[in-house]
Amino acid sequence: MASKELLIFEKGNGKSHKNFIPKMEIEGIDIDEIIPPIYQRAQLSIPDTPEIEIVRHYINLSQKNYGVDNGIYPLGSCTMKYNPKINEITARLSGFSQIHPLQEENQGAMEVIYETSKMLGEITGMEGFTLQPAAGAHGELTGLLIMKKYFKSRNVKKSKIIVPDSAHGTNPASAKMAGFSIIELQSDKNGEVPLDQLEYAMKEKDVAGIMLTNPNTLGVFDRQIKEITRIVHENGGLCYYDGANLNPMLGICRPKDMGFDIVHLNLHKTFSTPHGGGGPGSGPVGVVNDLIPFLPKPCIIKTSEGIICKSNNEKSIGRIKAFWGNFGVIIRAYTYILALGSEGLEQVGQISVLNANYLRVLLQKKYDLPYNRICQHEFVLSDKGLPNEVVTEDIAKRILDYGIYAPTIYFPLIVNGAIMIEPTETESKNSLDNFVEVMYKIYEEAHGDPELVKKAPNNTSIGRLDAVLAARKPILHD
Amino acid sequence: MKLDFIPHNEKIIEEMLNTIGVNTIDDLFQDIPDDIKIKKLNLSSGLSEPDLLRYLKSLSLQNKVYSYSFLGAGCYYHYIPSIVDFVISRPEFYSSYTPYQAEASQGYLQAIYEYQTIISKVTHMDIANASMYDGSTALAEAAIMATIITGKNKVILLEGIHPEYIEVVKTYCWGQEIDHKIIKENQLKNEITEDIAAVLFQSPNFFGDIENIEDMVRIIRDRSQKCLIIQVMTDPTCLGILKPPGELDIDIYVAEGQAFGISPSFGGPGLGVFTAKQKYLRKMPGRLIGKTKELYGEKTGFILTLQVREQHIRREKASSNICTNQALCSLAALIYLLSLGKTGLKEIAVQNFQKAHYLKSELIKLSGYEILNKKPTYNEFMLKCPNIEALINECKKKDLLPPLKMSKYYPKLDDVALVCVTECNSQKSIEKFIDAAKNAIENY
Amino acid sequence: MDYKFPDNLKYTTSHEWVKIEEDIARVGITDYAQHQLGDIVFIQLPDLGTSVEKETSVGEIESVKAVGDLIMPLSGQIISINENLADSPELVNSSPFEEGWILEVKFSNYDEVNSLLSVNKYKELVQSEEK
Repeated sequence: MASKELLIFEKGNGKSHKNFIPKMEIEGIDIDEIIPPIYQRAQLSIPDTPEIEIVRHYINLSQKNYGVDNGIYPLGSCTMKYNPKINEITARLSGFSQIHPLQEENQGAMEVIYETSKMLGEITGMEGFTLQPAAGAHGELTGLLIMKKYFKSRNVKKSKIIVPDSAHGTNPASAKMAGFSIIELQSDKNGEVPLDQLEYAMKEKDVAGIMLTNPNTLGVFDRQIKEITRIVHENGGLCYYDGANLNPMLGICRPKDMGFDIVHLNLHKTFSTPHGGGGPGSGPVGVVNDLIPFLPKPCIIKTSEGIICKSNNEKSIGRIKAFWGNFGVIIRAYTYILALGSEGLEQVGQISVLNANYLRVLLQKKYDLPYNRICQHEFVLSDKGLPNEVVTEDIAKRILDYGIYAPTIYFPLIVNGAIMIEPTETESKNSLDNFVEVMYKIYEEAHGDPELVKKAPNNTSIGRLDAVLAARKPILHD
Repeated sequence: MKLDFIPHNEKIIEEMLNTIGVNTIDDLFQDIPDDIKIKKLNLSSGLSEPDLLRYLKSLSLQNKVYSYSFLGAGCYYHYIPSIVDFVISRPEFYSSYTPYQAEASQGYLQAIYEYQTIISKVTHMDIANASMYDGSTALAEAAIMATIITGKNKVILLEGIHPEYIEVVKTYCWGQEIDHKIIKENQLKNEITEDIAAVLFQSPNFFGDIENIEDMVRIIRDRSQKCLIIQVMTDPTCLGILKPPGELDIDIYVAEGQAFGISPSFGGPGLGVFTAKQKYLRKMPGRLIGKTKELYGEKTGFILTLQVREQHIRREKASSNICTNQALCSLAALIYLLSLGKTGLKEIAVQNFQKAHYLKSELIKLSGYEILNKKPTYNEFMLKCPNIEALINECKKKDLLPPLKMSKYYPKLDDVALVCVTECNSQKSIEKFIDAAKNAIENY
Repeated sequence: MDYKFPDNLKYTTSHEWVKIEEDIARVGITDYAQHQLGDIVFIQLPDLGTSVEKETSVGEIESVKAVGDLIMPLSGQIISINENLADSPELVNSSPFEEGWILEVKFSNYDEVNSLLSVNKYKELVQSEEK
């Protein structure tokens, strides 16, 4: 393996080429006559690079990167399941990939959007859906703006949102972007929402509602969920479901039935579209009947003339993204849902929970499990009790040495030294057993050879990096 | 027959249940009250790969793919080199998560660092982030960033910004109770006061006009030292020729990067290019990749940095909630720009200028047609038509994706088409369009 | 952990220290606070001359993994800031009470001084948080 990878900019040889430029058949007028020279740039400093250098450079870089196609990717709350290859084929059909968002002959695409909305409605119980949001956090913002507009339309002033301390960081940040301030609720010793405190918080007059993920970030299903949503509703609030953890609920239980009014989903988590190294994603938002008029534009409806945009939705929060959402991601999720069907989706929920509990039971033999009960899709260990000042980060880095990826660490914030593990349903028992074996070995190493763990990783392409240096003296480009 | 990605057989499931110490899978869902469990999802049965593919192919055929396009308006047909899809199809890239574990993600981290570098080279802006969702949300986040930096609560938008982007900015502003006003360029002199957080403008704008940015910047700076100037572009390939924002004293420059090697895909996913002056670094939304060194060695490496700006640490104090971005699309843009090189990117821009200009000069020869743009244009222009419906129909007959009817966004411009010509339009296709324009007069 | 608690200083419940000299108060964060934050990478400070209110946040102290507010112990006007911290924020880690001071404020309300914590009270606070 190459020890030092030059930047691509050092691999250009200066020979210019026009490999990707079509023939110029017409006689073009001198550019200076079209655009005044003072509007033109003096120079452009990107290199001319031979194609073979580009290909080799990025193939070599790809080999210094780890994807779920390489092995288990147990990041908690990220749902790194297998990305079926058929998704990539369907998304690249020219009738989907080469069409313009403003063209008229679009009924195939409109049907994909319409049908996906319907199916997500059935999966969550929600009556209306928008596929506009580009990601989960974008969906949260959309859902909260819907909440805001709903109360505004009823002339009720609501300025606060309740967010439990176990929530994803995006929840409070999204609430702030929608103009709400936050009331943070401390989880109880079981990791659940304390009803008395919820009731107390809801008594403050201007609370718009609650944002919850259930199962929560401890992987725990809140048994009082019906009570929680009842209390919020009785005090004039709305309930928002953060769908980041929907995977184990597929075919088992629906946010609507738990009492939620608004839900966002992450198609790049639950519905198998690739994460792409951090995007593109898609964060559809579903709502109950009363909130449908507030969905963002464009709203689409089915009529006798086909699937069209509804124009008279003046209550809508407005547009939250240009065009139709991340259609290329939506088509992949649509492919996945059609492939699995109702039975397949139910198995997803079941096996994701089976796999997580299998790991939980085996790993708690060596590691601290602060919330010790049956989990859903994920569970959280901690570094408590590890010897020789070995901490969570060391464990994570040492896992990389065994050629697999590490869990989510230091989240949720309510567990000190959290190690958050979500295997997903697509991991085989062999893969899970291998992960357990690695975790056991590291446990032994922490006792017998702690320096090995604390200096890890030792056999990745690079050693542990200096995050402090990177932040003190940021170098963000060459 | 259906697709099934669950690896366990019955026997393995049995073994795993034994290890856990429960009898059935249902026992694992004991925390869920029975009255909210569902029996069955009301969806169709799953499909096997061949059946699935047959169905989706038939559905895709209901969308017409034209031989040539004269439609732009925020989404563009540029040639995409084959190596773009080749690189982004590497599973190590596309099936990875955000590179939290730097040592197992050096490949992607370096690639995004190279993306940040190439964007700052093309734009001459001090810093570029690892991307936003798209051009419209990048613009909205830029507006919010300006209100945070200046402590002012009002933004001005110049008309000429893509109408859908204006709507997105309005929605975001409404969320945070930020005032906004949409004005014409010639009103700038009167509208800039000390309480404005930012002026947002697009150039080349939605109508195709290339603005005199130096003049605009002077007018704004003369009237307010605090006001940030934010430029947006929907087709940044013009930067092959046009002066980059970094040389024009622009504070924040954003763009829709779809034109950089990303297929149209019905308008998404695209790429939110986001750049700013160095002094605004700590208020910038989105991920940033930085260069650093090993803690216990001397090798150079790459890492997610300045993460305390972001929501997972700063929570409600973060300037943005963005988490997921468009990493794979930024990789596509990087490969696109590298494949072209400076020679190619310049040539693309030249061809867009020249081909669009050629069509303009041919159309004004036809009686009844008028070009409405008074300023220089890049690859789009407004064409006043004697019979716009006829022109649209004639284009379709010739297998040309027709231009945009401006009335979609501006009801008063009911006889105006927004015509887009890129390097992908052959001479033959341009001749066909001219024929269509002629037929639209003669045959109706 | 053993933290330093200089006994010539006053303290706040939000872990700032205050050194009073006539009507000037020098402010920084305590040894305990810098330990909790970890390696400090950036400090955002208010402009010179800004009028500030007691118990409001006037700046932020960032480490790689956390961010803390700098809460004003006293009301007044900022008359000096530690310019060295722009290039060397690590001074707050290495010398929280000396070279790592953050700002100076000119104050007028002596009652506010009386409400600050003594070193013993602050030690108790830290001990209780440590648990």
